[in-house]
Amino acid sequence: MGAPAGPSPAVPARLLRRFGRRGRWAILLLGGTALLAASAFVGPVAIPPETVAAVLLHEVSGGALAPQPCGPLPLASAVCQSRIEIVWDVRLPALLLAAIAGAALGVSGATLQGVFRNPLADPYLLGLSSGAALGVAALFILKVGVAEANIVLPFLAFAGALGTGAIVLAAARRASRSVETLLLTGVAISNLLSAVMLVLVLSNPIGSLQVTFWLLGGLGGATWARDGIALGGVLVAGGILSLYGRELNLLQLGPEVAQSLGLQAARVRTRLLFLASLATAMAVAFTGVIGFVGLVSPHIVRRLLGGDYRVVLPASAFVGGVFLLVANDLALLALPTSELPVGIVTAFAGAPFFLALLYRRRRAVPDGGMP
Amino acid sequence: MALNPSGTPSPRRHMIPAALVAVAVLIAAGAAIATTAAYFELRPSGPPAPGTVAVTDDLGRTVNVPVDPSRVVVLSPNIVDSMVRLGLRERVVGVDCESAAFGGLTGDYSPAQITSWNLTSALCVQVGPTLSVEDLLNKTPQLVLTSTIVSLSDIEEISSTYGIPVVTLAPATLGGIVVDVELLRTIFPSAPGAELVGELQRSIANASALSSALAANGTAFPTVLLVYYVTPAASPSPGYWTFGPGTFGESLVEAAGGVGIAANSTVAYPELSGAQVLAADPQVLLYGTGFGLDLSTYQGAPDWGNLPAVTAGHDYPIDSTLITEAGPTMLLEGLPQLTALLHPGA
Amino acid sequence: MTDGDDPAFAAEGLTVRLGERTVLHDLELRASRGELLALTGPNGSGKTTLLRAALGLVPALRGRVRLLGDATGELPIRERARRVAWMPQDESAFENVPLYDYVLFGRYAHLPPFAAEGPADRAAAEAALREVGLWEQRQRGIREVSGGERQRVLLARAVAQETPILLLDEPTAHLDIGHQLDLLERVRRHCRERGRCAIAALHDLNLAARYADRVAVLSRGRLVADGPPAAVLSEALLREVWGVVADLRRDPASGLPYLLPRLPARDRGPRPETPRPRRVHVVGGGGAAAPLLRALVEDGYRVTAGALPLFDTDLEVAEELGLPTATEVPFAPLGAEARAEHRALLDEADAIVVAPFAVGPSNLANLEDLVGRAARIPVFLVEPTPISSRDFTRGSASALRDRLVADGARSVADLAALSAALAPRADPDR
Repeated sequence: MGAPAGPSPAVPARLLRRFGRRGRWAILLLGGTALLAASAFVGPVAIPPETVAAVLLHEVSGGALAPQPCGPLPLASAVCQSRIEIVWDVRLPALLLAAIAGAALGVSGATLQGVFRNPLADPYLLGLSSGAALGVAALFILKVGVAEANIVLPFLAFAGALGTGAIVLAAARRASRSVETLLLTGVAISNLLSAVMLVLVLSNPIGSLQVTFWLLGGLGGATWARDGIALGGVLVAGGILSLYGRELNLLQLGPEVAQSLGLQAARVRTRLLFLASLATAMAVAFTGVIGFVGLVSPHIVRRLLGGDYRVVLPASAFVGGVFLLVANDLALLALPTSELPVGIVTAFAGAPFFLALLYRRRRAVPDGGMP
Repeated sequence: MALNPSGTPSPRRHMIPAALVAVAVLIAAGAAIATTAAYFELRPSGPPAPGTVAVTDDLGRTVNVPVDPSRVVVLSPNIVDSMVRLGLRERVVGVDCESAAFGGLTGDYSPAQITSWNLTSALCVQVGPTLSVEDLLNKTPQLVLTSTIVSLSDIEEISSTYGIPVVTLAPATLGGIVVDVELLRTIFPSAPGAELVGELQRSIANASALSSALAANGTAFPTVLLVYYVTPAASPSPGYWTFGPGTFGESLVEAAGGVGIAANSTVAYPELSGAQVLAADPQVLLYGTGFGLDLSTYQGAPDWGNLPAVTAGHDYPIDSTLITEAGPTMLLEGLPQLTALLHPGA
Repeated sequence: MTDGDDPAFAAEGLTVRLGERTVLHDLELRASRGELLALTGPNGSGKTTLLRAALGLVPALRGRVRLLGDATGELPIRERARRVAWMPQDESAFENVPLYDYVLFGRYAHLPPFAAEGPADRAAAEAALREVGLWEQRQRGIREVSGGERQRVLLARAVAQETPILLLDEPTAHLDIGHQLDLLERVRRHCRERGRCAIAALHDLNLAARYADRVAVLSRGRLVADGPPAAVLSEALLREVWGVVADLRRDPASGLPYLLPRLPARDRGPRPETPRPRRVHVVGGGGAAAPLLRALVEDGYRVTAGALPLFDTDLEVAEELGLPTATEVPFAPLGAEARAEHRALLDEADAIVVAPFAVGPSNLANLEDLVGRAARIPVFLVEPTPISSRDFTRGSASALRDRLVADGARSVADLAALSAALAPRADPDR
């Protein structure tokens, strides 16, 4: 159910294994960068691909390469400047934000699945995202200072996610050990928070439009500065989380067995949930609520690389980033001129996946593999 | 099930208070930054460079803008109105659109405006739900004129990241419309429509002269309900949407010599129930049309047929764009029409 | 301590309450290094709770459990895990981890914070896996192995933890008889060779009697008996604690007590028509027959066995029990001499029992010699697993087996079914 993948790694893992540790990371980083660059060719404004490529070269090399990126148009012309700005200052930050947010959601999903021993755990389904969203919506709507403030947003999102995380953890402790109970708790909490948000929205119709769009999840507001803040938060959360692979490996045996093996199970669970909330909040603060990335990514990783959390955590971050980037590209390809919220695409991809998992689990459960 | 033995603190007992404390600290930190940090104040501009002029916009920001810019993106219908009447239509290279993907301009432009102002979807810059910076940059504007439709962070981003000055024109009063047109004339000294300011001032003066004359006569101002939308009787919260204090709709009614029945409301855009409207018993009922609204919509409102103003035949349609967009058209067409409807004989 | 040196494990006045119920009352129990202590008692007598209290998973209301002298509750969790290892009754892994990694989890308490496993840890995991005979299968996933293998993996993980004390909660639950014996054998060996103190909660009194150095009996949260199996297990105790009437026998080889519970209804049942066989011949090999041989001897039959190669486990057991056997040199096809011996034993038998042994070309003759006999005397095939899983003769063995069944041989699932089939009356006719 949770992880039907065998320990014998699939083809991608074997291929990756041929290279050394450094080689593997180099390949993944190169692949990710290539995807990032390739995604810069798609956007609402049609820019010729050769211009996009030339602009990327021009900017990366600091002007040394491709000194005339716009072909016949002079570099200083307004049109050429706008091309450079669109590719380098609008598209790339958005793409980088997609990668960062996807990575945050991926690593957060992997952590939650391990902590709760639940293959269907995900920051969105457990309500952490809604919690973070409520924090941000409160800012939008109550106008504490100026809305959309880069630094305040993550704080409030984190507060919201953390509060929700505490409730979910408490509920999970009290509730029976079934997978569904935890999910239903998450759904209930999520709905409650949405109701609170709705009350806030109705109390201030002017803020509601912005909140609605932002709730669907979008990468529109990305800037290098926001990317920097999000990246910082995600690096802190993800970096610490990736140190906890061994602990998660023990936790998936259940808290009691983990404790008998010498793990401070309760403390580590709390710590992991804290960090997963931080990662989720970083994603939600700047992109809104994007579902299912955290659910899907760890499952893809397990299929390819097995269930060792020392691998699953960083790999889920990578897969999550790629997933969201691709989803964003698909959104732009489907409706090029209207910026379709990327959360809609991930829902299209993730919801059937979720149902498939749930259905497979029901069929395969007689062994009682779940805690 | 207790995970820890006696002797070590139970995690359950301490975790939730700890989380609550953490949440409180985070909220406090966020609020502290929000209220104190200078970060959130938009950066002031330096002294004007040659070929530019410093103007103070409706947000109180002093912005250095190029004189007589030839490429301007205008993100609000009321400012497009001003630009057209100033004879500057050809300088407008981009306007706000809700969704260009679905075939064009679905913003607050009336069909007549779209035709007469020659607005096409090629001009579109998406502003809703959020501003598409990519669209905006693609128009290579030298100046962006906007109302409060664009958020402060976007203004900050456009002006500081891309070096495009952003001037916010969001008048709060009827007089403010004139002030904003004067500001535009500062930016565009060569604009052909030199007489526009005078016409606007005359319109306001005419209305106020009429009001004074009526007051001197001892004529009581009629009570008015100017309704711009209704929720039908069958809906969960049926009622009449009208203008409260501080809004242009209310200011127009007052300037035209009427008394809005929601003038003392606590809300800017109140929704009144059928019973409330019956109790207030307005003498004149004005309803905004266009954007898919017509008399049949309003007839669906609760107690519409029972209102004395309706039974007496004192209900009149008025084009919504004339009363909602704070531009020259409001003063040059909306105000005279309202005056004529409220005081037919005068 | 009163006896001079600290016992490895000591429950002192331990009282545990779960909810409204007092599960353990003022319990005093000790165990030392090198000792395998069986904890028995009816369901709900507090066996599992005692183990959980020792691990610190349930708090003590009064009293304490000392692990090498220190109370559990006062030991940090890490230090606890270096003193006591746990083999839980039900453990399910969420991820499909390779067995080797799963056993390495046992090394966590020995690792510095955030450090990777070192050579010493890998050596411990390897040794533990070899000890339970799963080293060759170390790359298989934990969710793919059989129940018996999983229990052995759990034992290996506890062994790799290298703790002086081992707590085993129903380690033989869900295992068939062969795996039960195998597992407890390994635990006992581990205890003796490494000087560990093992405490195993066991339901099965006969397993407890056979393997434990000492048996502690709990009843309703109180210790009612504690001592060597021979001294503790009695018909009276069974009646008092379990409410079961049983016969107490002695294993003729070891002198250990062996309990055969009786059901009153059966006790009074009509005598079966078939006379009870007196002389039973067991066909086996590779250890498959050993438990049958012991049990049948204990049931009072005259037992013979064959044909078995030299050094075979079954042969060793048979000789230990002093049984007549037919023997052959190892790994060779059965010779004419051995077959003649075997046929002679078969001719004298009143009943024949075929153990679930692996059939290869060298011992296929064992089955061939049975052909035709099932029509004359009772033949029982003990088949916990189908013959196809033990058939290494490309179907010849399966065909022979089907022929035996066609002749009238009966297939029984396990030892208990065999006992019932051989002697429908519980009271043996000596």
